[in-house]
Amino acid sequence: MISDILVIIHDYWLLLLIGQYPNGPLGGLANTLILSALSIALAFPISIVLALARLSKWPILRWPVTVLVYVTRGVPLLMLILWSYFLVPLLTGADVPSFITMLTTLVVYQGAFLSEVVRAGIVALGNGQMDAGRALGHSYLGTMRYIILPQALYNMIPSILSTFVSTIKDTTLGYVINVPDLTFAASQVNNQLLTQPFQVFLILALVYYAICWSLTYVAHRLERRITRRRAGLGVRLAAVIAPAKIVSEQS
Amino acid sequence: MSTPELQQDLHAIRISKVSKRYGDFPVLKEINAEVTRGEVVVICGPSGSGKSTLIRTINRLEEINSGSISFDGRDIHAPMKTRELNRMRSRIGFVFQSFNLFPHLSVVDNVAMSPIRVKGVAPDVAHKKALLLLDRVGLADKANAYPGQLSGGQQQRVAIARALAMEPPVMLFDEPTSALDPEMVGEVLAVMKSLAAEGMTMLCVTHEMGFARDVADRIWFLDAGQILEIATPEEFFKHPRHPRAQRFLADLRH
Repeated sequence: MISDILVIIHDYWLLLLIGQYPNGPLGGLANTLILSALSIALAFPISIVLALARLSKWPILRWPVTVLVYVTRGVPLLMLILWSYFLVPLLTGADVPSFITMLTTLVVYQGAFLSEVVRAGIVALGNGQMDAGRALGHSYLGTMRYIILPQALYNMIPSILSTFVSTIKDTTLGYVINVPDLTFAASQVNNQLLTQPFQVFLILALVYYAICWSLTYVAHRLERRITRRRAGLGVRLAAVIAPAKIVSEQS
Repeated sequence: MSTPELQQDLHAIRISKVSKRYGDFPVLKEINAEVTRGEVVVICGPSGSGKSTLIRTINRLEEINSGSISFDGRDIHAPMKTRELNRMRSRIGFVFQSFNLFPHLSVVDNVAMSPIRVKGVAPDVAHKKALLLLDRVGLADKANAYPGQLSGGQQQRVAIARALAMEPPVMLFDEPTSALDPEMVGEVLAVMKSLAAEGMTMLCVTHEMGFARDVADRIWFLDAGQILEIATPEEFFKHPRHPRAQRFLADLRH
């Protein structure tokens, strides 16, 4: 079986890596990574804005965003994808590429989820930090930027990273609207081979696992480094100790 | 003394008819009092009497329902641009019961950040100044430590240095030693005493009656949202006029 897998990788690695490119659109793993990176890069700043809006004292900011977050979180991602895919062209008449549809949907969906994580991080800090910032003469946004958010985001690194990981996993749903990503490429391979679905989808699973696990691993290391730094111990020491601890934590 | 301008100049803070309610519950009832420049005022009274609320209204961390609090010749509760309010607040040092240091910044950055971000002081200048202030509160050797590595007393001294870094003409203390272990109270009070000796205008909510006796110029006794007595420490501790103050002091002695 391992030899089957090696043969598949040997024959189809380029398709799995970049899809039909350059004869067709960029696809495969490259497209999955691009889609994930763009989703995360756009969803993260948006989530901070949404969180601040939900904490705003002005109802005109707070209410629409609250509704958006509740609706988005209350609906399966697949529904949102299908809505965007069928409704947006109907409403606008524009022919939106499936990649853009998928990207936008992911950004809205993960932005809403992340905003709750960010908001929880801010609320968990309590009022003391805001009071201290305001008492020193910082503006509300200045206090947020220099005092509240650095702490809130740091405290939420594990949750934020796990949302990033789930974003990567969620890109697979692009398959239903024909986004040419890694899952799409794997299913093409499967269609050509017909007889080895287990092997093909095992490769797929392993690739996703490697990506997501690496991100989790990096997150843990980062977290420990900062914790050590705050505890006043050497950064180098932390880097040496961290990997061993992470392995033991995950098992 | 008789001209209004001069009189205003003598008063660092003037509280006029300040009332505040939480819902139907009155926390502050028509408070009138003033703090003269260079004066050290201790606010005392039983818990729930509105001491903390009162001191927090002075830099408008709490809003009030009516009245005015003038500082720098302006009512800090008047409608104003937030930028103006921020500027006024930056001139009122505030020390919290729970320190509220910024745990993500080193001690020296805790002290230097606000001068840099709020007043636009050059970072190297602000850091030098921060080191001087830390030296003054006896913590120069902790400049690169993080707040989490310090004892409560050390954290509170950093918090005082942080407030002083903005060079405020007035310092407010909201129960600065109440969250401390008993053996750390002294080091914080010592810093406050040295500040008072240098002529800083100070308003302190505290239960440290020894501090009140030794350092305060005047004591405000607050109960149920009203100032019942304003007296020098000598008058207050020896001959409190108001029965409620007499009872309060009697309870303290037991």
